[in-house]
Amino acid sequence: MPAYKLTYFNGRGTAEIVRLVFAAAGIEYEDVRIEKPEEQWPEFKPKTPMGQVPILEVDGTMLCQSNSIARYVAKVAGLAGKTPLDQARVDMIMDGMEDVGKKGNATHWEKDEEKKAEKKKEYEETFLPQFYTCLNKLVGDSGHFVGNELTLADITFFNTTDLVGRYFKLPSMDQFSGLKKVMDHVTSNPGIAKWLKERPETPF
Amino acid sequence: MPTYKLTYFNVRGRGELIRLLFAAGGIPYEDVRIEWDKWPELKSKTPMGQVPTLEVDGQLMICQSMAIARFVAREAGLLGKTSVDQARADMLLDGGMDLGKLFTEMVMEKDASKKAEKKKEFGEKSLPPFLALYEGFAGGNGYFVGDSLTWADIAFFNMMDFITAEYPSALDGYCNLNKVVDNVKTNPGVAKWLKERPVTDH
Repeated sequence: MPAYKLTYFNGRGTAEIVRLVFAAAGIEYEDVRIEKPEEQWPEFKPKTPMGQVPILEVDGTMLCQSNSIARYVAKVAGLAGKTPLDQARVDMIMDGMEDVGKKGNATHWEKDEEKKAEKKKEYEETFLPQFYTCLNKLVGDSGHFVGNELTLADITFFNTTDLVGRYFKLPSMDQFSGLKKVMDHVTSNPGIAKWLKERPETPF
Repeated sequence: MPTYKLTYFNVRGRGELIRLLFAAGGIPYEDVRIEWDKWPELKSKTPMGQVPTLEVDGQLMICQSMAIARFVAREAGLLGKTSVDQARADMLLDGGMDLGKLFTEMVMEKDASKKAEKKKEFGEKSLPPFLALYEGFAGGNGYFVGDSLTWADIAFFNMMDFITAEYPSALDGYCNLNKVVDNVKTNPGVAKWLKERPVTDH
């Protein structure tokens, strides 16, 4: 098994999905956190493929772009979906959740206070409930988004919801029986349950 | 062979990469283009209220343009040979999408003077470092990953197709990137599609 080295800042951010997949699969990896970014980041940045983290070092190569890294690790771990169609369904859930995260991010970083309040209201009261209603319909009877087992789709749903929930009011999962089952499956996965207990508390 | 039905608006937009991949792979598909007034009734039938969507054998609907593109790239053998190659193709595409987002914001800006400002900024601050970076990623053989065409090359070509419409000389002087564009344009399926595809504003 090749050695895996993940490098990111000391936070969840865009790296957490990768850490969750490693945890679900029980794959060991080096979880490097840039402790002093003001000092260490300017030196490290030019060494990365696109001047960004997270990066994953594997087999002497450096991968960047969090979703690409997550997809790669999920493939290695057998959590990417079994058939090409299953894999496409996993991808589509990931991309949908990316839209949720990006919109939340844009709202969170809006500088104009009045616009921000407006965007926050729209996000919490209209966008999230509508989108989660769509997502709920996409959950199978198995309580997974794709097939009968945990995939990166389930883990991504959990992670994005978890992150968004730190800054915004989430719709109540009680009305979404499918999504509730997905959350349960993810949080009760032994590797993930252990990681959720042990992971460091960080500002983001 | 399964039957494929792609549904999108009558534009290139987020559908074109998928169409290029079907073409490159020589995979037949139904290229459904809906009129704007038909959209409200179709919207609620899609998984996430958006197009493009892909139906396979009349049934399974996949949405999200990149998920569909990746699926078609896989069927066409254009994903990358190993898992690491595939991850590299993914990462290059993701980086391209970051640039594409800035470009789209500029193009969609309604205020004329803000748009002129954004156009200048994109052309001077965002585009050149990206192209310089990607010139380094592209091999001397004109492929981003390995030694044969992958969807990373086709996605780059598609994005530059939009960008050079606003910045015609953007690729001047980039040897490797120009080779990538040539490799894509001379793929027989792509060449045929480029000749035949409907001309649309965007």
